[in-house]
Amino acid sequence: MELFDNLLLGFSTALQLNNLLYCLIGVFIGTAIGVLPGIGPIPTVALLLPFTYGLEPASSIILLAGIFYGAQYGGSTTAILVNVPGETSSVITCLDGHQMARQGKAGTALAIAAISSFFAGTVATVVIALLSVPLSVLALKFTAVEYFSLLVLGLFAAVILAHGSLMRALAMVLLGLLLGLIGIDVSSGAARMTFGIPELSDGLDFVPVAMGLFGLGEIIANLERPAEERSSIPQGVHGLMPRWADLKAAFPAMVRGTAIGSIMGVLPGGGAALPPFTAYAVEKKIARDPSRFGKGAIEGVASPEAANNAGAQTSFIPLLTLGIPANALMALMIGALMIQGIQPGPQIMHDQPALVWGVIASMWTGNLMLLIINLPLIGLWVAMLKIPYRLLFPAIALFCCIGTYGIANSTFNIWLMLGCAAVGYFFIKVRVEPAPLLLGLVLGPQLEENFRRAMLLADGDFTVFVSRPISAVLLGTVVVLLLALASPAVFRKRKEALVE
Amino acid sequence: MEKPRFDHSDLLLGLFLIAVALGSLFATRHLTFGTAADMGPGYMPRVIAAGIFGFGLYFTVKGLIAPAHRIEPVKLRPLIGILASVAIFALLVVKAGLALASLATIIVAGFASSETRPIENILFGTVLAAAGVMLFVKALSLPVPIWPW
Repeated sequence: MELFDNLLLGFSTALQLNNLLYCLIGVFIGTAIGVLPGIGPIPTVALLLPFTYGLEPASSIILLAGIFYGAQYGGSTTAILVNVPGETSSVITCLDGHQMARQGKAGTALAIAAISSFFAGTVATVVIALLSVPLSVLALKFTAVEYFSLLVLGLFAAVILAHGSLMRALAMVLLGLLLGLIGIDVSSGAARMTFGIPELSDGLDFVPVAMGLFGLGEIIANLERPAEERSSIPQGVHGLMPRWADLKAAFPAMVRGTAIGSIMGVLPGGGAALPPFTAYAVEKKIARDPSRFGKGAIEGVASPEAANNAGAQTSFIPLLTLGIPANALMALMIGALMIQGIQPGPQIMHDQPALVWGVIASMWTGNLMLLIINLPLIGLWVAMLKIPYRLLFPAIALFCCIGTYGIANSTFNIWLMLGCAAVGYFFIKVRVEPAPLLLGLVLGPQLEENFRRAMLLADGDFTVFVSRPISAVLLGTVVVLLLALASPAVFRKRKEALVE
Repeated sequence: MEKPRFDHSDLLLGLFLIAVALGSLFATRHLTFGTAADMGPGYMPRVIAAGIFGFGLYFTVKGLIAPAHRIEPVKLRPLIGILASVAIFALLVVKAGLALASLATIIVAGFASSETRPIENILFGTVLAAAGVMLFVKALSLPVPIWPW
């Protein structure tokens, strides 16, 4: 019955009036940036981080979490109406969702997407609640040795399951780890790679790095593309109530998508981006008539939408139980916790039960709000889509500047963001995905600290990582993942899934 | 048209990584390395930099032997426009205040795109500057001057 006590505690936090309000603000902002192509949840969360300083810890995480899963709802709206993914996770929804819209069934597609997301969100909330306790019990047994191995597993898994080239991603992780070392070394007090700049002695702030790499770099690359690829005006939307037959057709796909999303989200490296691809591939495989897909199949909307929402939520599990981020966005959440003076780690669930369970419960209230604000407010989101990019991009640039300055009132951070914007643009040019860099940057200091502590305890004996059972299992998983990736069959599958 | 050689994206990435690795090895040259049991501050930076150097070599060699692949040509207008708009904000915000810095940022950013309409852009910038002051200074109490005086 511990589960009910926990959920009760969670709901008593989540249902406080101020937390309901922050949840609403979060999902509202999330939907808005989800609808707008060209601005994703990572820069938005980075931008809002400095302003969560004054909030209660639970409120700030509830707000920021709402942005993440809210963006999954908003992204599908744009995908269906304009055939442009509002978020990477809704790329796949374009295929059948937009076809449905073209056949005059935009309302049905939007409703099915929202209902699938809500269904998945509800199930995922339960999954998080069920898995959190056993995982956090396990986590309390961890010493520096296990923690180091866990971080290594997290980094590798994040890289393996991410998009794009494995070698590029590994190089980015190392680059992030290196940047994470900048600053005063905690054990010896020596300044490392600070180049005599006092602002660097506390280490690189990751907000300017995230905003430069993800926000501004993306804008520069977007502006290079011809305008036609970006804009298109949606028509009116009618018939938001789905027919019973549609719901019946979509329901099994919804369940399958939720299962796929929940499982893939929990894996380190999980999140909202990969599950919809897998879910879509599965639907196509088991369908009696696969040729319907790409021509407005309702399962092709329901399953990926359920999967991305479930994945977005269950990717919080590693963060809330073990204190390690599954993806770049969760890395920012760690930043949000540290701003609040909470050290993320295996003890977090034990020390901060109201925070952890409050955030979990808020995901369900947030999903309910999303269902309510999405469908009736569809007119507002369509209107937002009509904002031309020529106005949007200067506004994003300005808000990045103000937000970056706001973290520490330092103009140094703005210059740092400028440098990162140039590097981010370079990365896009040479086809590098910068997300692993951010993960490395955030985890770098923890990785080094635990490595040094483990080595000190083991007296410099590297075999300690394989002689202790939990650590050996964790590192063994890394090896299995790498071997699986090297096998030709999986390699082809992964390539297929990422190309589609 | 000269014939393209090398995979430019691999090659550029490789050279970039090598430069970063060498730069950090140089920057940490005075730090003690220590032993595995008692690591000095220079241990991790050098190990990681060596790893990055390895990746840099890998991509450079791969770029040299891979089939030719050119990166999309760089367009200077968006690049310079956006970077300049950020720079002007950094230069102005403390001295001239948030209102003027915001307006200047929007105007400079407008130069990044050929779709920008000058008058609309200036009006939009004024509105955004006012909104920014209201939101960040009044509502979120960010300690930053609003005006130069």
